[in-house]
Amino acid sequence: MNSEHKSGAETPVIELRTVNKYFGTHHVLKDVSLSVRQGEVVVIIGPSGSGKSTLCRTINRLETISSGEILIEGQPMPAEGKELAQVRSRIGMVFQSFNLFLHRTILDNVTMAPMDVLHIKRKDAEEEALKLLRQVGIEDQARKVPAQLSGGQQQRAAIARALAMHPKAILFDEPTSALDPEMIQEVLDVMTSLAKSGMTMVIVTHEMNFARNVADRIIFMNDGAILEEGAPDEFFAHPKTERAREFLASFRNEQKESEL
Amino acid sequence: MNIGELLSQYGGKYAIALLTTWKLTAVSFALALALGVLITAMRVSPIRPLRIIAGLYVQIFRNIPGVALLIFLVYALPYLNLIFSYQTCVLTATTLIPASFCSEYLMSGMNMIDKGQIEAARALGMRFTHVLRKVVIPQALRNSVLPLTNLLVATMLTTSLASQVPMNPMELTGLVSHINTHSVGGIMAFVISAALYCATAILIGQIGSLIDRKVRIVR
Repeated sequence: MNSEHKSGAETPVIELRTVNKYFGTHHVLKDVSLSVRQGEVVVIIGPSGSGKSTLCRTINRLETISSGEILIEGQPMPAEGKELAQVRSRIGMVFQSFNLFLHRTILDNVTMAPMDVLHIKRKDAEEEALKLLRQVGIEDQARKVPAQLSGGQQQRAAIARALAMHPKAILFDEPTSALDPEMIQEVLDVMTSLAKSGMTMVIVTHEMNFARNVADRIIFMNDGAILEEGAPDEFFAHPKTERAREFLASFRNEQKESEL
Repeated sequence: MNIGELLSQYGGKYAIALLTTWKLTAVSFALALALGVLITAMRVSPIRPLRIIAGLYVQIFRNIPGVALLIFLVYALPYLNLIFSYQTCVLTATTLIPASFCSEYLMSGMNMIDKGQIEAARALGMRFTHVLRKVVIPQALRNSVLPLTNLLVATMLTTSLASQVPMNPMELTGLVSHINTHSVGGIMAFVISAALYCATAILIGQIGSLIDRKVRIVR
């Protein structure tokens, strides 16, 4: 045992220690270490295939790791069973493709896990769900099934579903990548207000303006490794690595083209 | 005998036979559905022995003829001092075989479910049995209404196995054999039963499409 005092240095909500992952012979995460404090908003950016999504998915063990350690609130991530489910219930996740339960109403989507996992009574779960749906601005869609909602509304429902578990942190795996451009902002707005409310968030995204506005820290990944990390103003104004400069330049060009 | 003579002499028996066929079908199908769900849950479970047992079950009962199974139950099991009533033997055969097909249909209904939904459920902290019960099985069932409707019709036709053993009351096929051994019913005796099977099948088909339209998952 080490002599770490709980009262002293705050235990990170999420901590990764030299995590490595292989898909077959392909080395997709290379010695990734990362620690996320309570209330911190960490945004992971980087080119496609750089391992951002995989990294995000390893945090609640939707992807297993080959070596290294993942700690949630100071406790090692359990490998399976009841313990793993218990830890997952404290870490929310929002997916690129929403992944709502298509056979149930939006309200049921939000109440299912609280009732099943936390054993909250239906009445209380529904009350809470409606409050959360109001918070993300789709209270009037509660009785519809996912297919009746727009992509932006579905993603906001998915955020409400994650919030209903009162998670310690929420992982966002490219939450706006599957959305039509006009729906991206409504989802980013919900995420921004979440960030302001003090939620601990790990966000994988390609939305650079959003990253710059909400992030406490930017992580730049390339080829499976964290190449650079720092405060957003610093990172966007003075990227230290050549690769990050190239990456940001490609975004600026894209933006210029779309302005023409 | 012409159709009028047949109906006047055996009309009541046809009615009872039709009800018996319906009853056997309903009981078999309900049991097959329950067993099919259970077998399917075992086939996707994380526990390997369960997967193997369930896989074997499907391979065995999907691939043996109903008559062979019935003969085995009626004539072979007594050698092991296992003696069941004829009705139990028939119902066992007409349940075990459709259950294997039921599981196959549910597996394909399950394959239509996006893996992301299962990941979402697990990310919410739901455990395997909950994910299965709340997310996977309900959607697999709703994705499989049409094949299950066909299975119900097939199960009804399989209940004609009961004609191979003495049963009281007789079902539609058994009644035909009865009529043709006691009087000369000829082809007409078969036609009446066939018409009743067809009418039932059409009814089942209609109800199945209705249910399918109602519960089909909109994507």
